[in-house]
Amino acid sequence: MEYALFLGCTVPARARNYELSTRRVAEALGIRLVDLDGSVCCGFPIKSVHYESFLLTAARNLILAEEKGLDICALCSACTSVLTEVNKELGENEELRKKVLRKLGIRKKFRFSNSIRVKHFARILYEDVGIDKIKSKIQKDLEPLKISAHYGCHYLKPSDIYDNFDNAEHPKSLDELIETTGAVPVDYENKNLCCGAGTLAMDENISFSMANKKLRSIKDAGADAISLICPFCSVMYDNNQPTIESKFSEEYNLPVLYYPQLLGLALGMNKKELGFNMNRVKVAPLLEKLKQ
Amino acid sequence: MSRIGVFVCHCGLNIAGTVDVEKAARLISNYPGVIYATDYVYMCSDPGQDMIKEVVKEKKLDGIVVAACSPTMHEVTFRNTVASVGLNPYRCEIANIREQCSWVHQNNKEIATEKAVQIIEATVEKLKLDKSLVPLSIPITKKALVIGGGIAGIQASLDIADSGYEVVLVEKNQSIGGHMLQLSETFPTLDCPQCIATPKMVQVGQHPKIKLLAYSEVEEVFGYVGNFKVKIRRKASFVDWDKCTGCGLCIEKCPVKVLSEFDEFLAKRKAIYTLFPQAVPNKPVIDSNNCLYFTKGKCRACEKNCSVEAINFEQKDSFIEEDVGAIIVATGYDLMDKAEIGEYGYGKYEDVIDGLQAERVLAPAGPTNGIPYRPSDGKIPKEVVFIQCVGSRDPEHYYPYCSKVCCMYTVKQAMLYKHAVPDGQAYVFYMDIRCNGKGYEEFLQRGIEEDRILYIRGRVSKIFKDGDKIEVWGADTLTGRKIEISADMVVLAMAMIPSQGVKKLAEKLRLATDEYGFLTEAHPKLRPVESLTAGCFLAGAAQAPKDIPEAVAQASGAASKVLSLFSQDVFYHEPIIGSVDEEVCVGCGNCVSICAYDAVELDLATKVAKVNPALCEGCGACSAACPSGAMQQNNFSKRQIFEMVDAFAKGS
Amino acid sequence: MGEGTIVVKELDSGFKYRVTEEPGGEHLMRCYACGTCTASCPVRSIDESFNPRKIIRMAILGMKDEVLKSDFVWLCSTCYICQERCPQDVVITELMNALKNIAVKEGIIHPGYVAQATEIGKFGRLYEIDDFANKKREKMGLPQLKSEGKDIQTIYKSTGVDNYIAKPEEEE
Repeated sequence: MEYALFLGCTVPARARNYELSTRRVAEALGIRLVDLDGSVCCGFPIKSVHYESFLLTAARNLILAEEKGLDICALCSACTSVLTEVNKELGENEELRKKVLRKLGIRKKFRFSNSIRVKHFARILYEDVGIDKIKSKIQKDLEPLKISAHYGCHYLKPSDIYDNFDNAEHPKSLDELIETTGAVPVDYENKNLCCGAGTLAMDENISFSMANKKLRSIKDAGADAISLICPFCSVMYDNNQPTIESKFSEEYNLPVLYYPQLLGLALGMNKKELGFNMNRVKVAPLLEKLKQ
Repeated sequence: MSRIGVFVCHCGLNIAGTVDVEKAARLISNYPGVIYATDYVYMCSDPGQDMIKEVVKEKKLDGIVVAACSPTMHEVTFRNTVASVGLNPYRCEIANIREQCSWVHQNNKEIATEKAVQIIEATVEKLKLDKSLVPLSIPITKKALVIGGGIAGIQASLDIADSGYEVVLVEKNQSIGGHMLQLSETFPTLDCPQCIATPKMVQVGQHPKIKLLAYSEVEEVFGYVGNFKVKIRRKASFVDWDKCTGCGLCIEKCPVKVLSEFDEFLAKRKAIYTLFPQAVPNKPVIDSNNCLYFTKGKCRACEKNCSVEAINFEQKDSFIEEDVGAIIVATGYDLMDKAEIGEYGYGKYEDVIDGLQAERVLAPAGPTNGIPYRPSDGKIPKEVVFIQCVGSRDPEHYYPYCSKVCCMYTVKQAMLYKHAVPDGQAYVFYMDIRCNGKGYEEFLQRGIEEDRILYIRGRVSKIFKDGDKIEVWGADTLTGRKIEISADMVVLAMAMIPSQGVKKLAEKLRLATDEYGFLTEAHPKLRPVESLTAGCFLAGAAQAPKDIPEAVAQASGAASKVLSLFSQDVFYHEPIIGSVDEEVCVGCGNCVSICAYDAVELDLATKVAKVNPALCEGCGACSAACPSGAMQQNNFSKRQIFEMVDAFAKGS
Repeated sequence: MGEGTIVVKELDSGFKYRVTEEPGGEHLMRCYACGTCTASCPVRSIDESFNPRKIIRMAILGMKDEVLKSDFVWLCSTCYICQERCPQDVVITELMNALKNIAVKEGIIHPGYVAQATEIGKFGRLYEIDDFANKKREKMGLPQLKSEGKDIQTIYKSTGVDNYIAKPEEEE
């Protein structure tokens, strides 16, 4: 099981705990992640500004993976979504494909979705590795933990690019992955609500209000922590949790774990291997609870 | 002594939940004249009916009472049941213990049971005096009259004639075709209406079983189902159609030009004219109000140029009589006059046109060959505003009903406009868009997406002229803001109303109309093509606003009703009707004036009332109005009613 | 979202054509204003003035300036909920991108996006991975990363997007 690891912008700079835990977990499950040297931003931020530039940027990354003959494993949901979208579009639309390659000055033929696929790491765990195999590797049951899954938006949406993977209105893959660790998935109101990161650069108040709404419902549902799979969402819930708490006079203390961090615990890894020191909201109380 | 059986139905819990049905059956079994009584869960079911049949045979019953739901539900069922074992069906009575008892006394089982028993007892008393009746058989003239030669009348005529029966088709204009022939194209397929309607018109013209009376009107109607006598006025056309070859030279030579009704006053015609080139019959008429010979006594150009001497200025209206067994009324619709709408300019702006005018403007065979020149100056309009629901859905000022076809024809007109003027813009003001037909919503979406018709949800408050523009002020409720459009032309989707003269015709045929003049069907759901007058059927927009597929479907429905009537040699009529005791009748005439069906008359010789059994619908008004008791309704005699009242009185 | 009378002759009636030619804007005209987008929008639930249905409506009517010059199109969080639920497949999230793209071509761009695009142009990524960052990565046992800004610059030049994102920078 081999994939080209696409890191994107935020993960290598601000979510190294995510990157680290992913690499460790992948290793433990026998997934080989090959670094995609020369890759750049997926193109997501450019889409709002200039569609063609966005298309070329995304295509450039896809070409790197196709050259290696490897499917892409992406960690950020936004990267997953735009790379999947462009891969599909260029695979299906021959005219556009030719135009993009011409613009990029590339003579060699590339087939995009007819050759490679793009998948989020969580989807690889769920679909390619499979719940049963993960279960067989579990060393430590996380049973005492109650965890709320945050799916974020781009992991499953827009649904028409994801070939019927999971269900955007009633998702279950992440809950099942959480259940695999022995932890109890906790449902909550507004489960499909966006984290708010998308408007952070435009209007902080809106972003924080959106994140606050969700933190409130997760807390009300009695979860011990949030598990998520996108660095943007983590910026909202983890990095900005103290800001949100003071802004709305709330106290959440909700640790936010990337799913590979949670799974890593169940696979018997230690907090250093999982980069818990980079988590803004202290994970220690959670680990305490596990010890009991 | 009678041998009566009583059958009490549970109707599941509908009756048994309130009435103690077992007790009721037990009590009634002791009632004088009743020799058998039982109860059963569903009397109308096959096992229930089988049980009735068995008991009738076994106990040699001479009458039964079924205590169940309203007689409007299952009276026919049980009458057929007893008839199948040789009992006269009119010796079967229904005691309504559901609608009139269990459903209205749900809180008190004791009282409900007591009342149910009383209802049954009263019904038994009525049954004791019921006569064995035989339905009247009335011979049928197997020939139909169709009034109105629009698409509905054409369809109905062809359906009946193709089945081998004769049809007389009366059309007030000089050609059949109706409004459909005026249309540009038809939604949602954009077929050309002439292409699909003219073959049917030609079939009508050629059909050996259809007698087409164009330029004619129904003058008088007598008789009843199966036996109508119709007097038809053939209006003077001043052209001998038997001689006329339809060469058209007279039209060419006529010097008079007047606004054309067929072109909705947007183009001119001659004083001698046909409606359109494919007219059936293709014969001209002279418009005597505008003809120079009739107005000034000179000219005669048509006469001089007619090689077959068909012009006859002396022609007068003539009358013919036809005997028919059934009548289909397909008189169609008109549009409400736009001059009635003050805020939209009282009809005084030339470039504010109505829906039918827009059809002519857009029709490929219209006065401008489908190029939408605007009426005032012949310029091609670049901004066209369509306004829906003008006069419709406005109970406060005009008509409360939805005219049903405007949403669709507006999409079509806006679409055709955009096809003719690709760089133009079409706006549609709407309150709701109702596209509830096959392919209709898709048609709307196509107009919006492909032709970029701008739909604006809101009503237009005001239209006024500003230079050569028509200013349209309205609201865009979707942005919550006022909107102003400087338009080149405005199309008003005026309310559909019944065609002129339908009210008079309805009176002649004794047909009911609603308050707007649309003909009323016998039942809005279950008898939609029948009228309340036996033998008269409805088709098309005369009954309510309808589009072409609906009008055609209703026409075929009406035709099939006529055919089922014609499939028998005689028509059976309910025998529960009024009958006169000639010895008692004093000839006061109360019954004659009260009868809604013209079924009673005074015999001139004997001076007593006489009931025409074919016309009588058995309403009972005459027997109630009769001061002497001479007029009695069969099986609802005065004595029977008193016996029933007594039975109730004894019970209490 | 603006007040007062809409005077149609002052609007850009060709705007709807322009939007439908832009990638993502193709289905603009399909909107039948059901409001599912607005009802689903998480931004709307925070800020009442944000109303995707109304933005679409204004674009259809040709209210170009009001659509492009307001902050509204930039406030979409791209969560795709509206797009998922839209019964008419207006692909609203992509439509918002189309509107933003048009705004950029009109010289209207939110400074947040200028900054992001500029960073990506410089480093190939939103955040520079400099020596200091690489050291941190090394400490955690993560591989070293290089700046890849050159390739993006080439793309920017070939598409001409650098003209748009350079402008606001010069003003500053």
